[in-house]
Amino acid sequence: MMKLLRRLQYFLHRRRQEADLAEEMRFHQAMVEQELERSGITAQEASAASRRAMGAITQMREESRGVWIWPWAESVWQDLAYAARNVRRQPGFAFVAIATLACAIGLNTSLATVFNAVALRPWPVRDPARMVKVYSFEKDPPKGFDSLGGFSLAEFRYLAEHAKSVAGLFAMRGEGGVRLEQAKVRGEYVSARYFRVLGAGMEKGRGFLEAEDQVESPEPVVVLDYRTWQNRLGGVSDIVGRRVLVDDVPFTVVGVTSQDFGGTAPERTDLWLPMASIALLSPENSWALDFLRSPKECCVDLAGRLAPGATREQARAELSVLSADFRRQFHDRSDGVVLTGTALLKQGGRKAGQVYAVFGLMFAGVLLVLLLACANVGNLLLARAAARRREVGVRLSLGAGRARIVRQFLTESLAMAGAAGAVGVLVAYALPGPLFRSAVGEVSFGLRPGATVLAYSLGLAVLASVAFGLAPALHATRGGFSDALKRRESAARARIPLRSLLLAVQVAVSVVLLVGAGLLVRGIQHARSMDPGFAVRGIDSVSFDFPVSAYQSTRLRTFYDSLTRGLDGSPEAGPYGLSAVEPLGHTYSLTSFRRPGEDARQDRMVLSNSVSAGYFEVLRIPVLAGRNFQLTDAGRNVVIVNQAFSDRFFGGENPVGKGLISGGPQEIVGMVRNAHTSGLDAVEPALYTPISFGIPPRVIVRHTPANVAALAALAKNLDARVEVRATPLEENLDSWLSESRVGATIAGLLGVLALILASIGISGVFAFAVAQRTQEIGVRIALGARASHVIGVVVGSAARALLAGLAVGLLLALWEGRVIGKYLFGVSPLDLTTYAAVLITLAAAGLAATYLPARRAIRLDPIRALHYE
Amino acid sequence: MEKDSELLPGTLDLLILKVLARETMHGYGIALRLKTISEDVLQVGESSLYPALQRLLLNGWVKAEWGASENNRRARYYTITAAGRKQLGVEREEFQRMVGAIQKVLETA
Repeated sequence: MMKLLRRLQYFLHRRRQEADLAEEMRFHQAMVEQELERSGITAQEASAASRRAMGAITQMREESRGVWIWPWAESVWQDLAYAARNVRRQPGFAFVAIATLACAIGLNTSLATVFNAVALRPWPVRDPARMVKVYSFEKDPPKGFDSLGGFSLAEFRYLAEHAKSVAGLFAMRGEGGVRLEQAKVRGEYVSARYFRVLGAGMEKGRGFLEAEDQVESPEPVVVLDYRTWQNRLGGVSDIVGRRVLVDDVPFTVVGVTSQDFGGTAPERTDLWLPMASIALLSPENSWALDFLRSPKECCVDLAGRLAPGATREQARAELSVLSADFRRQFHDRSDGVVLTGTALLKQGGRKAGQVYAVFGLMFAGVLLVLLLACANVGNLLLARAAARRREVGVRLSLGAGRARIVRQFLTESLAMAGAAGAVGVLVAYALPGPLFRSAVGEVSFGLRPGATVLAYSLGLAVLASVAFGLAPALHATRGGFSDALKRRESAARARIPLRSLLLAVQVAVSVVLLVGAGLLVRGIQHARSMDPGFAVRGIDSVSFDFPVSAYQSTRLRTFYDSLTRGLDGSPEAGPYGLSAVEPLGHTYSLTSFRRPGEDARQDRMVLSNSVSAGYFEVLRIPVLAGRNFQLTDAGRNVVIVNQAFSDRFFGGENPVGKGLISGGPQEIVGMVRNAHTSGLDAVEPALYTPISFGIPPRVIVRHTPANVAALAALAKNLDARVEVRATPLEENLDSWLSESRVGATIAGLLGVLALILASIGISGVFAFAVAQRTQEIGVRIALGARASHVIGVVVGSAARALLAGLAVGLLLALWEGRVIGKYLFGVSPLDLTTYAAVLITLAAAGLAATYLPARRAIRLDPIRALHYE
Repeated sequence: MEKDSELLPGTLDLLILKVLARETMHGYGIALRLKTISEDVLQVGESSLYPALQRLLLNGWVKAEWGASENNRRARYYTITAAGRKQLGVEREEFQRMVGAIQKVLETA
């Protein structure tokens, strides 16, 4: 070991070492000359003599260097050549081992690639380390809301004006449904400094000017994404200065971003608009003006670049003080701000915690697969190592050191792991991109493994090779060589049977992975068959896209009034309901309320929705007490609550007739049954108010061609520009399940992979057991043992390991069930069906894996078996 | 170029260690000492002396330091290490055994 260190040290300082040697030579030569001169030869002759010696000196230098480098390099080369020869001699073994490891390393690298892209890599901009995202922090956010939020635009302006520690704070607000010419695209409102602070490159033109982003005088200008310009606007070269229609309003193109800038949101951004232009796109909408001016209207996301010399902590402290100052003017409270890096995944906050938890589970899964693969290959190697004990014995007896042979074994495993790692990295290049695109859609970030990820997989490969290579190496060289030469079994049976241990690990890991996969799949099944508490099948939620710029609230009101009158008067339209919030549409509305006699500080947030009487009828949500809404309720202070509300706040008593305060005193007139209209977990307390048209409502209808056609005809009749969009509620339900479905698919794949790997491993172990005990089995058969008995002997040799692995695996699975409990949609983590299915699958796989070796054992010819050696 | 007297393989290391066991020396000094003690029988050329010294360095049996020589030139001085002394003992024993064996063969065969 010390020798290796000295060798390394020599290698690192080889320049100096060679200079040393050269100087030493000159000294030696000088001494020789001196000596010669002293013995009476002239100086000339002396130096000639020493020059003659020069040739020898060069040779000497070569040899001196060789002492350090050559034997070592040569021996490494020898090891590699030897490893290659071994691999070539058993290509089947090498293939199985490398394929197994490549699968495991590929999965790990792929996951690391995705994690790196989503959670670690900052925005692809100039000097990303100095960029920060700024969130307002809220100590006790209402349920369903994150503790990290945005700021009002007014607060942003205050912060941007006063903050010294952040240079160039800017605001962003994503807008999913902007229309560019006629196509729906993803837009982003940004404050003027956005492009300049980011240092985003421009393919053509420029970013926004301060003058274009003034609330008082907004300018209709737009910056296009490179791909939008290419794909939607034909890539015309004189694009800058042209007019394009954004939501039917003419905007002038001032710039096109460079190809490698995909925006700062996870989804690809198609165009950018100045923040103030919101007023141009909805000139008569009072909300737009509120948004631009009101200090309380939420929200924009903030980011900025730290000022030179400022630390993140300084910036956080300063912005917290400024935020509190600002809000105090409006009697609002601030819990401070939080600064994070610019990785796409929001850091901190509850949502991020969940995402990290999911990543954690997935990493645990793929690392388990890697462990399984290592155990598998380790076991195969171990079997081979046992078979090579004679070879090793011979080499030991010929004087090879144990360390040398261990190194030889490790070189072999390292070579295999290296090959597997290379294949694994190829997998990571190919897999995540298409997978992500099919699951999520077009994204703004690249999914290529970077240097960090490559280093990670390299580390994994090396660790893996040590993990599966060291034990067999030590095992094979244990004990004296005479021992090894004499009998093959003696040492293999000596201590803890390592092979059994590895076998047990394999079984345990497969149980854990299979149970996890099984539970998730069952959870999905359960959720699909679960009664959501309201009618989903055959119901459409119809929404209307208005040309935003042309509509204001009074006009909207007129539209819906005419629409509902039309629906009421048309027999073919059928029953309909109105709802401000789309059922299972991933949007929520919250309202605060308190009981009479409580003061305002006791306000709590609950889910709310504004609906018509038809809503409960069409969705078949029964009214359990009191009454449904009536037409006369419009504008009156009456509410309907759900059962969960009454259970939570009225102790299960009949709430009808009681009062509560929510934006004024309200009377509860009815209670409806719980329905999973806003999510599939437990139903939250909800408050329903009579439909008010504050936000354009959805029309909920039964899906028949006549229904939808009648509705569309009515709407088009009222305004030909209105786009009618019908979404089947089943699609919404599906999207709720898709997250878990992706999880279940991944878990299922891991489970199947685990099963295959474990089968290979089990099969290998039994095959080896048969090979090792050929003579014994031969004797038994010769003495008349029956086939079942022979199989018993073979299987019995590993039965304890199998059972132990099963037991440990089941224990871990119980724990795992508790961890993933919340992704199971109410399926018990102890679900018997899952456990039974896993055990049956494993038993079947185990039987299949033992079949071939067992058959070989039964068909052994006793005569040949006895001669076998 | 002087002709090296043929040494038994491995003996040069032993001889160097023995010389260094008495005092710290530079390469040329070692060669000189071997020559004088063996009464000019052992003339070790630099082409075998310096590789041998490198070998000893690699094994950690000697260490090297730069110092001033008797005529005030910079010279590299070699010192035997504790491991080197141990090795000297081992090799010496081995050598005795070998010489004894050869002796026996010569006397009896």
